[in-house]
Amino acid sequence: MKETLFLKNTEAFAESMIRCGIRCHFAYPITPATDVMKYTSRMLPEVGGRMVQMESELAVSNALAGYACAGKLGATSSSGPGMTLMQEAIGFMAAGELPCIMLDAMRVGPGDGDIIGAQSTYFQATRGGGHGDYRVIVLAPSCGQEIAELMPQGIKLALTYRNPVLFVVDGVTCQMTETTTFDEPYDYTADFDTSDWAYTGTADHPKRFLLTGSYTHEQGYEMNERMRRKYAEIAEKEQMWEQEEVDDAEVLVVAFGIHGRMCKDLVESFRAQGKRVGFIRPITLWPFPNKAFENIPASVKSILVVEMNHGQMVDDVRLAVNGRVPVHFLGKTGGDIPMCTLADMTREASKLLEGE
Amino acid sequence: MQTLADYYGKTLKFDKLTSYCPGCGHGIVTRLVAETIESMGIREKTMSVVGIGCGGFSHHYLEVDAIEAIHGRAPATAIGYKIAMPDHVVFTYQGDGDTSAIGLHEIMHAANRGMPITCIMVNNSVFGMTGGQMSPTTIPGQVTTTTTKGRDVHIHGYPLLVPEMMRAMKGVAYLARETVVDVKSINRAAKSIRNAFECQVKGLGFAFVEVISPCPTGLHLSVPDAYAYAAKETLSYFKPQVFKNELEKSDEV
Ligand code: SF4
Repeated sequence: MKETLFLKNTEAFAESMIRCGIRCHFAYPITPATDVMKYTSRMLPEVGGRMVQMESELAVSNALAGYACAGKLGATSSSGPGMTLMQEAIGFMAAGELPCIMLDAMRVGPGDGDIIGAQSTYFQATRGGGHGDYRVIVLAPSCGQEIAELMPQGIKLALTYRNPVLFVVDGVTCQMTETTTFDEPYDYTADFDTSDWAYTGTADHPKRFLLTGSYTHEQGYEMNERMRRKYAEIAEKEQMWEQEEVDDAEVLVVAFGIHGRMCKDLVESFRAQGKRVGFIRPITLWPFPNKAFENIPASVKSILVVEMNHGQMVDDVRLAVNGRVPVHFLGKTGGDIPMCTLADMTREASKLLEGE
Repeated sequence: MQTLADYYGKTLKFDKLTSYCPGCGHGIVTRLVAETIESMGIREKTMSVVGIGCGGFSHHYLEVDAIEAIHGRAPATAIGYKIAMPDHVVFTYQGDGDTSAIGLHEIMHAANRGMPITCIMVNNSVFGMTGGQMSPTTIPGQVTTTTTKGRDVHIHGYPLLVPEMMRAMKGVAYLARETVVDVKSINRAAKSIRNAFECQVKGLGFAFVEVISPCPTGLHLSVPDAYAYAAKETLSYFKPQVFKNELEKSDEV
């Protein structure tokens, strides 16, 4: 039976992962992600799982890697500086092709940042904060409902491609309390048989070993090539985005997360005045939805990218557009209201409509 | 005629030359671990989590599932694995640099957590693989490539006594320092390693064995001299002993 709950969106993340079959959550307290572990510490034991509070994010991410070695899908949740500490193990898991689900309740940065919400970790999420050629699948839901809807998808991606999957949600959205309707509990992890690769002891397979540091071995080149092919396949098949009113648009607004959510109202009010504004909201940040930009109509005069940072995704939009249309940027980070308001977005889009 | 394979069964692999330098103590410790696994009959459900450095190669010579964890993080990785597979036997095998420099944080919290895993730290008082730099366990006066006039405690601090730091932790069920500098010591080390695995199988808590071992290459000494140095100098600082043994309190000793 479906169930509608009134939860903080961090809690919606926790509830979603429990409902979708995740039984182990490793975490270390950090604002504003801590609510996830408070929730799972209470709720996971009720379904035979556990929240494991480790001594640091380093330990969290490595314990998560150890858990994944056994072929099981675990999760973690953190924020900006915590994610920075986890990068080493995230790169390790990507290299070792170990799946996991993660939440970055994105904060303002750089340095230790501050607890205020932002989208400052777009580069870290999509480029990888660790060394080497690896990729993390990045999902950017814009509300609690979308977190719940993307969780099964995230689990499928993690286990299909054996790769870390990261949910990025700005800290503002994470702290919002709203109603979310959850599907009946279903263990999506059970749909995947991990026995052909998991390190579960030699009782039913010859010795397996996970070694991510031997690229000079004969297998090293092959291993890198296999990952390159995998990432190419993900980039081809798994792009997700939402778009509205694009077909005849003069100005396209591109935003993810909370600004992406605001695009609906923005475009509606422009259209009500007969102004041709549309939007594209990337849902996967890696792979970036290039396909959304492949066939933008000739009517589009300019694109406005809105972010809660100094301009990070705007680079990906420019790459996707490849010079066909001018791409402008509007962004804000830090301060009491760390984001662009609807009024800011309206003003900038109007200027572009008027060709300024 | 009895062959080595008859004695070590499947656990220790003989089809590969080891990458350890001639005379390295790692060879002995790896063999002792293999003997323990084989004699306890736990090979098929044993998982090795190795660190970075010379000890990271130990699993190449063992027929058990294995992962090479990131610098220093083997205990955290082992905990995650143990949570996923509580009935399996999981041990970490790390050098002194991996365990007590970059990974001190993970090993201390793993010990304090008391989860039944077995951790082995091979202490040769030097960074072996990176070419002989000072380790936290380099002894006073020891010459390394980064303490060319010998470790001066006023500049470099004191050698780290890892088991002593764990002694008061209630989660630690087996705690010992052993060495492989002579036959008698090797026999004692064999016993401690066995106990550290038994402790885990019985679910008593965290088990840790530090093994003092010579690194002829890092010490720039011939094999006999490296053993003599470890026996005299290194052991003068790191005294072998069993600090704690909860097995004695459990019904079947
Ligand atoms: S460098 Fe030292 S520890 Fe490493 S294999 Fe050689 S002798 Fe052993």
